[in-house]
Amino acid sequence: MDKKDKSDKYIVNYGEPVGMIAAQSLGEPGTQMILRAFHFAGIESTIATSGLPRIVELVDARKKPATPITYVYLTGDAKKNIEKAEVIMKKISEVKMNTVIKRTLENFPKGMIKLISEEQAMSANNLTPSQVAQKISKKLNISAVVDKDKNILVKLKTKNVEEIRTMSVKIMREVVQGIPDAGKAIIQQDAKTGEFYLIAAGSNIKDIIEVDGVDRSRLYTNDVFAMNGLFGIEAARNTLVNELRKTLKEQKIGVDTRHLMVISDAMTYSGTIKGIGRHGLSGQKNSVFAKAAYEETVKHLVNAAAFSEIDNMRGVTENILVGKQIPLGTGSVRLAIKKEDMQKAAVKKKQK
Amino acid sequence: MDSTKKTFIYLNGKVIGFVTEPEKFVNEVRATRRKGQISGEINIAYSDKLNSININTDRGRLRKPYLIVENSKQKLTPELIEKLIKKEINFNYLVRNGVIEYLDAEEEENAMVAIKEDEITEKTTHLEFDMASIFGLSANVAPFAEHNAIARQAMSANYMKQAEGLYVTNFNQRFDSRSFILFYPQAPIVTTVPYETLDLKKHASGQNLVVALSTYYGYNMSDALVLNKAAVDRGVGRSMFYKSYSDEERRYPGGQRDRFKIPSPSSEGYMGEHAYSKLSEDGIIEPEVPVVDGDVLIGKVAPPRFLEENIGAGGLEERTRDDSATLKAGENGVIDSVIFTETPGATRTVKVRVRSIRVPERGDKFASRHGQKGVVALIANPEDMPFTASGIVPDLLLNPHSIPTRLTFGHLLEEIAGKAGAVAGRKVDGTSFTKTGNEKLSNYAEMLKQYGFDKYGDEIMYDGMTGRPFKATIFVGVAYYNRLYHMVSNKIQVRSRGKVQILTHQPTEGKARQGALKFGEMERDALIGYGASLLLKERMLDQSDKTTVLICKQCGAMGYYDYIKKTNICPLCGNTSLMPVEISYAFKVLLDEIKSMHIMPKIKINE
Repeated sequence: MDKKDKSDKYIVNYGEPVGMIAAQSLGEPGTQMILRAFHFAGIESTIATSGLPRIVELVDARKKPATPITYVYLTGDAKKNIEKAEVIMKKISEVKMNTVIKRTLENFPKGMIKLISEEQAMSANNLTPSQVAQKISKKLNISAVVDKDKNILVKLKTKNVEEIRTMSVKIMREVVQGIPDAGKAIIQQDAKTGEFYLIAAGSNIKDIIEVDGVDRSRLYTNDVFAMNGLFGIEAARNTLVNELRKTLKEQKIGVDTRHLMVISDAMTYSGTIKGIGRHGLSGQKNSVFAKAAYEETVKHLVNAAAFSEIDNMRGVTENILVGKQIPLGTGSVRLAIKKEDMQKAAVKKKQK
Repeated sequence: MDSTKKTFIYLNGKVIGFVTEPEKFVNEVRATRRKGQISGEINIAYSDKLNSININTDRGRLRKPYLIVENSKQKLTPELIEKLIKKEINFNYLVRNGVIEYLDAEEEENAMVAIKEDEITEKTTHLEFDMASIFGLSANVAPFAEHNAIARQAMSANYMKQAEGLYVTNFNQRFDSRSFILFYPQAPIVTTVPYETLDLKKHASGQNLVVALSTYYGYNMSDALVLNKAAVDRGVGRSMFYKSYSDEERRYPGGQRDRFKIPSPSSEGYMGEHAYSKLSEDGIIEPEVPVVDGDVLIGKVAPPRFLEENIGAGGLEERTRDDSATLKAGENGVIDSVIFTETPGATRTVKVRVRSIRVPERGDKFASRHGQKGVVALIANPEDMPFTASGIVPDLLLNPHSIPTRLTFGHLLEEIAGKAGAVAGRKVDGTSFTKTGNEKLSNYAEMLKQYGFDKYGDEIMYDGMTGRPFKATIFVGVAYYNRLYHMVSNKIQVRSRGKVQILTHQPTEGKARQGALKFGEMERDALIGYGASLLLKERMLDQSDKTTVLICKQCGAMGYYDYIKKTNICPLCGNTSLMPVEISYAFKVLLDEIKSMHIMPKIKINE
């Protein structure tokens, strides 16, 4: 106990089943969680999924969260200047055609599509029909003009009904302003620092980071896979921990962060994000028996027989199955020296 | 005609047509029904939101009667009431003649129901018979139900049907598989109009107990109850438990049949002379014989399960199998009655009824009529219990903490009303919605005051142990308590060692099979979490299905001991050096089953 750090006292013992304890520590409060949590003031909590569904989403490692949210912090003047922040917001906030266009009317004999403008939505996004027409004609390589009713007329070369229909659908999906998949962005003000920042309902951080005026060091999204794609697995692991902790905190459930770290580490140690379950961690166990005991018993046994697999009996489940001591806790230690060897050594010592 | 104004008519969910003036149509149908020209079982509902008319005539709809109100006047006139009293007309007459009609859930959506007659307005279409008719029968049987949280009242209705009482008066003739008869059932002091109307006091299922709201050395924490031993000795909650056993002489193909008799020692599964000692000559037990578990009640021999080749040959005695009925494990009592009868198929049948007295004991369950259940934790000596100034020792001590969180104020009202009724020597009415809570309370308070008690039921009480008065006054009243049929003596089970299942060699499950308690997956997880690997092994292997198998050191197959050659041998490679290995029998079964599917599992062993 000489000059040891106090934290050394809290290092877990060798053989401690940290995974099981982490699973129980998250699983037990999970049973108490209410499916739909209470919402508090603020936009984040009203749009983001929370509670049990969110935990399940994180732990299952779903490719796309139900409600992706990106936090975009700003650099320079935009931090304090709402007008400059708005300029950046306009660059990011995704506006699709279907928000500025009420509906489409196809004229098949003429090969024309008429797009009826939603003027309010257009002006709200600082767009004019001619701008919109310009954008889509550039992007889709078509000729679009504005008529006297401020509607957009698209003239197509083809008169094929099918092609006109697909084009009309394609037009409506087109992004006219902002970054695709970045979602609608809004400006928020930090209550403490008074700093302006953006919240976007998407997770295309790959493109958002390229925008001038965005603080690259603080860009954050709740989409674990997007974080992994841009910043790497360590960032993804930290995002997992943060999101789990945030979700649990919302429900006032106190789970020690280190349990969440163990879970997140287990999900990410391989370099890719694996869910917990049949297709993730549990499905990639080494033991045939452990896999067969979990799910799809017959499939695993048949495969094991077909490829003459060997079970090395190193895990917990398989050892309980046959009735051996489990290699954990008190079972994780073995006698290193045999009794005979000890006696031999004693004899040698005497001879000296 | 504007086609958008069509209202579709659904008859039992199927479209049969449409109308353009839905309300007029619906009213016409209703008028026809009230005249008795179409069946009163038809219900019609118009929904303007869905723009549809639903006519339902099918079964399974929940329907409730209402008095019809037309032009702000209800149709049950004083003349009709007079006729009803004289029994010149009946309820069905009123239904047929458009005074009363039944509404289902859908038609109720169209109705405007007034709860009281003076609440009728121009819009009113129906009138409730009584305020209390918003409750069902079982809720109305309990007094002051309107003062309780509805969840508690629902629980109360559940407990009342679990109560022991005098469920039939011919219980002596009946052979119910299990039944309970309360020794001294009482009619409740606090009664309700529905209770009296149903004449439930003829089948009373409880007793009026003096209940004090007091703690008692922690013996009534968390819904535990303290009973007075003197009260128990006087008959509180005492009941008789009847259980019937029956057996018949079955006939089998091939002319064989069962026979009631004392099995001969040569029978398969003979239980030893002692087990049959209580049977009379015909193999059936006699009435009034005390029995304990394991005793044979009906001696019976059956033909053997599997036919053997030389059956009956060489003048050998016919081989039989013992198939006697024994008293189940953990039970005892006295044979109450035995009957011999014959089924229509001409097979002889015996029914034996065993009776035993169930005196309330620690672990038995009681409940009041307000969803307040409890388990007896102590049967206290009366001299140690608190007593009032007038020397009354309560029959039951209820923890006061069980009232506020559950919002069962009806319980408190019943205690006051019951006390008032008890001192006045008459029944009190506790029908829901008759008066306001304050009216009732002041009424009973006045009664109590008249007889020299505290207005609100509080009493100065003295500690039975020291004789000193308590600092606080204690609320004492009289409440009707039911003894519920969940009793420890029917549920208790213990096991240290015992039977195992044939397939897995693991301990059996369930009380009827003398089973062990399951050490399940979550318990397993807990031990893993502790890292207690040896304890886990003990639970999962040593105390469960440990077996030793011989594993071939060479090829890893399972071998056996050859008794003729006096050596271990591997059936695969003929190797004689095998190693005994401890594994769970369940794993051996798994290996066997895998082998049966033409897969050869092999076990490699490190020494």
